[in-house]
Parts: sequence; C-alpha cells; structure tokens
Amino acid sequence: MASRAKRQWPFWEIALVVAIFAAGAWSSTLSPYYLSVDQLFSSTRAFIIPGLLALGLAVVVSFGEIDISLTSTLAVGTVALSKFSAAGAPLYVAAPIVVLICGACGVFNGVLVAKWRLPSLAVTLGTMGAFRGLAFIVGSEVGYTDFNDAYSWLGSEYLFGGVVPASLVLFAIAAIAVWFLMHRTVYGRRCFSIGLNPDAAWFAGVGVIGVKIAAYALAGAFAGLAAIVWIGQYGSARGDNADGSILFVVTAVVLGGMDINGGRGTISGVALALFLLGTIRNGLGLANIGGPTQTVVLGLLLVGGVLRPAFAAALARLRRPVESADVGA
Amino acid sequence: MLNRREFGMLGAGLAMSGLAPRLAMAKDSGFKIMMTPKWTGFPYFELTGDGAKAAAKELGDTVIYAGADHAEVSLQVETLQNFVTQKPDAIILAAIDLNAVAPVLVDARKKGIVVATYDADAAVPARDFFCNQLSYEQAAKLMLDCALIDVPEGGEIAFIAASPTSPNHMAHIKIMTELSQSDAKYKVFKPVDTQFAADDDAKSYDVAVNLMQAHPNLKVIISSSAVSAPAAARAIEASGHVGKVYATGFALPSAIKRYLENGSQKAFGFWDPFELGYVVAYETHMKLAGKFDPSKVGATIEVPKANATFTAGKDGEVVYGKPLIFTKETVGKYNF
Repeated sequence: MASRAKRQWPFWEIALVVAIFAAGAWSSTLSPYYLSVDQLFSSTRAFIIPGLLALGLAVVVSFGEIDISLTSTLAVGTVALSKFSAAGAPLYVAAPIVVLICGACGVFNGVLVAKWRLPSLAVTLGTMGAFRGLAFIVGSEVGYTDFNDAYSWLGSEYLFGGVVPASLVLFAIAAIAVWFLMHRTVYGRRCFSIGLNPDAAWFAGVGVIGVKIAAYALAGAFAGLAAIVWIGQYGSARGDNADGSILFVVTAVVLGGMDINGGRGTISGVALALFLLGTIRNGLGLANIGGPTQTVVLGLLLVGGVLRPAFAAALARLRRPVESADVGA
Repeated sequence: MLNRREFGMLGAGLAMSGLAPRLAMAKDSGFKIMMTPKWTGFPYFELTGDGAKAAAKELGDTVIYAGADHAEVSLQVETLQNFVTQKPDAIILAAIDLNAVAPVLVDARKKGIVVATYDADAAVPARDFFCNQLSYEQAAKLMLDCALIDVPEGGEIAFIAASPTSPNHMAHIKIMTELSQSDAKYKVFKPVDTQFAADDDAKSYDVAVNLMQAHPNLKVIISSSAVSAPAAARAIEASGHVGKVYATGFALPSAIKRYLENGSQKAFGFWDPFELGYVVAYETHMKLAGKFDPSKVGATIEVPKANATFTAGKDGEVVYGKPLIFTKETVGKYNF
C-alpha cells in the first residue's frame, strides 16, 4: 500500500500458473480424453458456480472475515427463481430481483458481523442453516424443474462456435470486475486496510461497518448470479442445491493467496486457484479416481494454502536475518 | 471389415430406416460400462458396484465404478460429464436429484450411450430404464411388516427421511401413511411425525432422540435410509428406550446385527445390494446386446444367477423386487 513499496514479483501467481500447467500435463497422462478443446472448455463449467461464490468470498476475506453461508444463499436464489418461473415472469425481471434477494441475505450477515460485531464464522454457520431451511420451506418438497429456455440460457449455452460456455464468459467478466474493485478502487484499498489493522483503518476515517456490509451484500449478490447459472446448468431448483460445496469455495480463496486473516491477497490469485483446482478435479475425474481421494487432495491444498503465509514469512526471515529488524514496513 | 466411409454411409442409411441404434450395438460383449452411485465409500453402494463388476466379468464387459464421496448433485453431474467424455457404451447411476442429472444424461443418450438407473431414479426421458430394488408399495409394506414384528399391537410411528426432496423416501412415507389409514393389517399404526436427517449418521441420531422426547407414546421409528435406521437403533439403546421404542426400516445386516442379537431390536428389511448391482449390470448388457428392450412394457429378461425373471413395466421401470427381512435368527446368514 505504501507509496515507496517496491514492485514485487507476483511469486504466488506464477507458482499457480506453473502448477496449472503441471496439473494439465499430468492429467493428459492420466487420461487420453483430457486434451481436447471441447473437453477443456466444457470442464470449466464444473467450477464456475463455486468460482462466482469464491469471487464474492474473496472480498469478505480481504478484511479478515468469512462467509460460509454462500452455498445456502445460492439455494435461496434457485428456489426464488423457480417461483418467478412458475409465475411466468421473464428472466430479465426475475434475475435482478433474485440477485437483490441474495444480496439482502448478504446484508443480513453483514449487519450481524459488522454492526453487532459477532464472529463471522459463527454468524454465517448459523445463517448457513437458516438460509438452507428457508430454501427448503420455500422450495417445497418436490423441487421445481419446469424452467423455460430463457432461464437456462446462461448456464447451458455455448458461444463462439459452440465451444466456450456462456457461463465462462460471465465468470471472466465477473472476475475482471472484482479485480478492478479490489485492486484499482478506493473501496478495495479500504477492505485490505481493514484486514491489516481494523483500528488503524477506523482512525484513518474508513467506514468499517459500511465497507463490511457492502462486501457481504456483494458476496450474496454473486451467490444470486451463481443461482442463475445453476438453473441453466442443472435445471433443478431444490432446497439442497449446492449443499456441501463450500469446502471447494474456501479452498479456492485460500489457495489463491488470500490471507485468511485479511489484509493480503489478489483476485487474480483466486481466479488462478480456481483453474488449478478445476484442472486437478477434471484430470482426476477423467481418470475415474474416486471422491475420497479428491476430497483429500482438496483438503491438503486448503491446508497448504493456509500454511503458505507462514512459510513465506519463515523463508523471508531465513533469507535476511539482519534486515528483518526494520520496523514499520 | 468396412472402411470408415462405407461404415458412415451404412450408418446414415440405417439411421434413416430407424435401425441405427440396434445395429450400431451389434456386438454382444466387451462393453464399457461406467457406474456411479449417489456417493462412494458407503458399504451399500460399494456392494452394488461389486455386483456389477461380477456381472461384467461373466459377460466379458468392463465396469468402471467411480464418484464423489458425498451426495452432492453438482459433483455427480461432473462425474457423469467425465463419463460421457470417455465414450462408454453405457452409464449406470443412482441419481441424487432426478432432474439435475437429466441434461447430461439426455446428452449422453443422444450420443448413443445407454443409461440405466438403480436405487434412485432419474427423470424418465433421461434414462433407458430404472432397475428399482423394490416397488414403492413393496418397500412400504416391507417396512410396516417389520414394524408389526416389533410391536404387533401397533401404536404411534414416526418417519426419518433423507430430505423433503428425496423421491423414494417421500413416496415410501406417503404410501405407509395411506396404508395405515386404509389397510386393515396396518391400521394399528398412527403416523405422528416426519423428520429429515440427510443420510447423515450423527444427524439421524439426534433426530431419533428428539422424536422420542417429542412423542412420549412413540412405538416405532421407521426410515428408508440405511444410514438413519441403524442410527435410530443406537439412539434408542443409548437413551434407555429399549423395549419401549423400536427402530426399523432399511439397514445393512452388518449395521444392525448387534442390536438384533442383543435383543434391543427385532426386525429390519433390505434387499441384496450385491445382487441388485449384478442385475442392473446384467440388464444393461442385454440392452446393449439388443436382447432386452425395457422400453416395451412386458418385455422380460431372465437373470440365471439371480434365479429370477424380471419384467419391464411402465416408463421403463424394471422392478428387482426381492425383499429380505432380518431378524435375530436370520441376520447371521448375511455377510454384507
């Protein structure tokens, strides 16, 4: 942040890119079906929904909070969409309202966390259950599948000669927008400054409460967007939509180099981590390597991501034991 | 041997005459069959996988069994997508969400892949046939029969299902409720509650404890979930309700053997998962070989190993239908 900060090499991002290519090369030895343009592009669909959630979560993590209710917010979004579809509302009416509803779920989290200063893990653990329950109640017992084609366009259409999923384009736009927000606007600076030191940020005049609530609202809205993609991809709105996929989302954010304590990290890192996780999952999946192995790999990567800042700090200490005395960096 | 172009022309001609699907599958062995359960690692599904592999070995096919380790539909769709990419002859699955898996399965069928479901069905247009372990009515009656062994004089009963969206569990509960009102044999029972436990052991235990507290006169806790029924048995024993409340429903014998042998429980129902897996793979093979057409109501298939002949019903449903009841005397006979 400081103006005299030297331009640093984005070591972590470079490491992720290398890892993506390594994983891709490894995958192509695991399965003869891996290397084909169609396959590679369509496999990205598997992580666009958690990817949208991860972009929102990254903003929340930037100031050291967490939101594990996002997958439940997504379910609120899908069942809300099903109600609009059942009522015959066109998508351009339903989509913004659903995004707003999910954003409101985020505001609820944000108020509890920022205004009432409750621990975000506890708050969002609670709302994870509450939103899920709400989705089950609203969604009724059978679920809803009778969506018209307009509703499924975003999640099922392929562009550019039927190769690139429309949802991938949406994800790219969303990722660039969040990158811009976090790294090129005052809002982003404020988020990271709260993460580094909330008291200092407050004394510097940062409206901590407002910044945090806005971030939760944004994360909720992204879950709403993910809900629209979900409907297109799976055509099924049920209370249990996306239940259990929060591990993947948190892993992507942490592996992407976002410090779980806030203050550090990049959106490009999160996007690259998503591609890495997607590549690994795709390769293992095509090699028919079972779920338990994949979950272990995912868990190990999460632990690795959490340990990374500690490793980096230890390495830095080893490398320059004398200089480490300079304070106030 | 035809060269590619001739083969292509032949294919086009046959497609026009509507015979393509049959001739394209004119071989009768060496099929590549890919199978995914609701989730892997659970003994029940592993046994169905073993059964399918046994059938494949006899018939000269290969079965590849893979899937995610928890029941999450987006992961199942990803698995299925990976299957389709690998161009198998057939896909066998136990669907988590009958509709969410439909788009990828419809795509698979368009590519000429035969799709079979077992244990839990997918939407009808998304698969060729459904090998149903027990018809919903059979399953409901089996569980109520077990409850009658537990408490012949009847009383209050409560249900534990996986979720309000699990099709077979909810259908069983609906039929059991109807039977308790209409069928003289089952009128002794009075359903008082339905709770959900997501096929999760700890949650099922808590739900069972809550049910016993909420309904002091509760006699039987019934669950179609092979996770929830044994968990309820454990909860009954741990909370000191032995002899007052019974658990029943579907359970693997290995999971409830202890309770049957120590007398805290009397009866559970199930079917042979190994044989179910064997039968669905056998039927899939015969469908691929053109010897079984489940789309025709009344089409039959004989499975010698299962010692039975199965008949295709409406909407390609082929009921396996061999219920088992485990009691203290019989549970020792089963090794799964």
